[in-house]
Amino acid sequence: MMSKYQHLYVVIEHEDGIPVPVSLEMLGEARRLIDDFNKKYSSDEKVVALVLGHNVRKLCEELIFYGADAVIYADSPELRYRRNLIDTKVISQIARNREIVAEFSGISDFVKPRYMFFGADSIGRHLSSTVLAELESGLASDINKLVIEDLEIKHEHKTKGQPMIYEKTLEMYRPDFSGFLWTTILCLDNRNPAIEREYHPQACSIIPGVFAPIEPDKLRRGVIVDYVPEFEERDLQVRIIDRKIVKSAVDFDSHKAVISFGKGIKDSPEQNIKLISELAKEIDAEVGISLPISKKPFPVSQGINSTYMIPDRVIGTSGRKVAPLLYIAVGISGAMQHIAGMKESGFIVAINPDENSPIKDECDIFIRGRMEDVIPLLIEELKKQRPTVEVKK
Amino acid sequence: MATTTKDLNVAVIVKLEPDFSEGNVSYNADGTLNRAETKSILGPHSAIASNAAFYAKVKYGARVAVGTMGPPIAESALQQAQLLCDADELHLYSDRIFAGADTLATAEVLKAGVSKVEGGKVDIVFSGHRASDGETGQTGPQTAWKLGYTFLGNVIDYDVDLQSRLVRAKRLISLQGFYDVIEEVEAPLPVFISIDPSYKAFFNTVSQRLAFERYQKEAKSRAENYKQFLKVLNTQQLGINPKLVGLPGSPTIVYKVERIPKAKASRKAEVIDGTNRDLIARVAANMYEVLEGMVIK
Repeated sequence: MMSKYQHLYVVIEHEDGIPVPVSLEMLGEARRLIDDFNKKYSSDEKVVALVLGHNVRKLCEELIFYGADAVIYADSPELRYRRNLIDTKVISQIARNREIVAEFSGISDFVKPRYMFFGADSIGRHLSSTVLAELESGLASDINKLVIEDLEIKHEHKTKGQPMIYEKTLEMYRPDFSGFLWTTILCLDNRNPAIEREYHPQACSIIPGVFAPIEPDKLRRGVIVDYVPEFEERDLQVRIIDRKIVKSAVDFDSHKAVISFGKGIKDSPEQNIKLISELAKEIDAEVGISLPISKKPFPVSQGINSTYMIPDRVIGTSGRKVAPLLYIAVGISGAMQHIAGMKESGFIVAINPDENSPIKDECDIFIRGRMEDVIPLLIEELKKQRPTVEVKK
Repeated sequence: MATTTKDLNVAVIVKLEPDFSEGNVSYNADGTLNRAETKSILGPHSAIASNAAFYAKVKYGARVAVGTMGPPIAESALQQAQLLCDADELHLYSDRIFAGADTLATAEVLKAGVSKVEGGKVDIVFSGHRASDGETGQTGPQTAWKLGYTFLGNVIDYDVDLQSRLVRAKRLISLQGFYDVIEEVEAPLPVFISIDPSYKAFFNTVSQRLAFERYQKEAKSRAENYKQFLKVLNTQQLGINPKLVGLPGSPTIVYKVERIPKAKASRKAEVIDGTNRDLIARVAANMYEVLEGMVIK
């Protein structure tokens, strides 16, 4: 079937050829969505991975094993590291290129992709914004659920108040800032004659750690297309002078334990955070926070503020999902948005004065008490027992 | 587009946001934000962007303009930003037709607004990392793209070479599952900088510290009389095509809002008295067991 808008393009992020986890997670979800889509609409649309980099051919093959039907890659020393300006130009060139599409799906009326995915991280968040500004279409951020359906829409502006069917619409669910609500965003053509306009691709950035990659299958076959990007002199004026790898300020993945705190620190925020970080040191835990803490509800010193009360530490549907061996929730009541981010943890301990807190239903040990009393005791006992425990590798 | 002299013109884009600090924020019984009862303030990330602009003023004597899109009440965000960065101009882009805009339609207004500053000769535009309410982080980079400015995100430090018209910036990039990267980049002006939450300005020389104090004093008196610096601009004055802003100019809509379903209670907790040392000792032992992988529940 001929259509101007076809296929789902997934913008892959990688570090020198090693894919960032969210890239494979996006491919997995893309695979599931497009398989359903093709069945439902008797079509043959493709999952297309986009890769910019240098010496990335091997990565392209791997992406096919992880669910891509086609991989379009632009290989150049200029593309080794991410630079927003040149990346946006190249991705937009590819997204508008009909000849490439012919290599994996035959001759078509292709104008732009139907859907497009990016990772909701330091790179993808900004890249998705500039690419969609260039392609002049809609973008939703921080998505954790996706559905494709035909929808009847009645909208003051989009349809001039008339009910109209929008086929193959991508429903993009994002947890909102409260952590309690899910907002569904749609990107829809304006069919109101006064402002008529088509908006494709329907695009979003996807929260890392939400979707599962598919089992890689080395027998999967796909098409790899080598795209030769066009650079303008001006686009290369941003120069990377130095690049230092530093230990992540927040690194949940390489710690066996995570300690999170919530609004229960309120009686003496500064002291309590210090106490919690002391406990974290004792068992080599990374420190997480609940969503309300990232809104900086308490006055604390600059150092504590910029170290702990930051979005990168949020655990839950609007932050990171973690599953350490040990999870300690301190002064966290247990809003469902937080639970979703930590319930897969191995062993969960909660410290909370209120036995009616919902967190009680989600932990293995509930220590009833004020953190000011419990944590010093716990630290003492951990110190005491430390030498008697043998570390088994 | 940039000036060819040694002058530096900077603009800051800010947002009036709900004040999430304890005592000011109000939640409904279902845990959602009670917007009517919650006060509004200059967003925390907008404040950091204002600090970054103030650095340009202290260090390079930059002229600073602050802009925001919003209803008339949003001028309080401009006033608060002026106090932080000693702004020379305040711009409120205000028109009923701007309401309901998504990030792309908002960027269209902000682009038009920045183009009005100093006859379009802005060298650096600053924005915050993301708003506390919308939290998309998209509006900054989309405005940059529409302006045709080089976008530099997650900037933790920057300096400008006024002779060569180059900006040097450090960026903090988190690579999920790998590590963080601190990248130093150089780009010709004009640039659009979105400031990382961990940004902090340092003033090293005596002359900078003196300038800092002088401008801070000036900022205080200016903010008290902020209306003298305020310009309110509507669609027509901004020269905007009404089809590209507000609801008509937004590709996206909010289709529905629902409660996130509650996870099923999954564990049966043992309740322990937190003042009982023996019990806490046992919990400590449990923790070590779990961490050494000897007992997996």
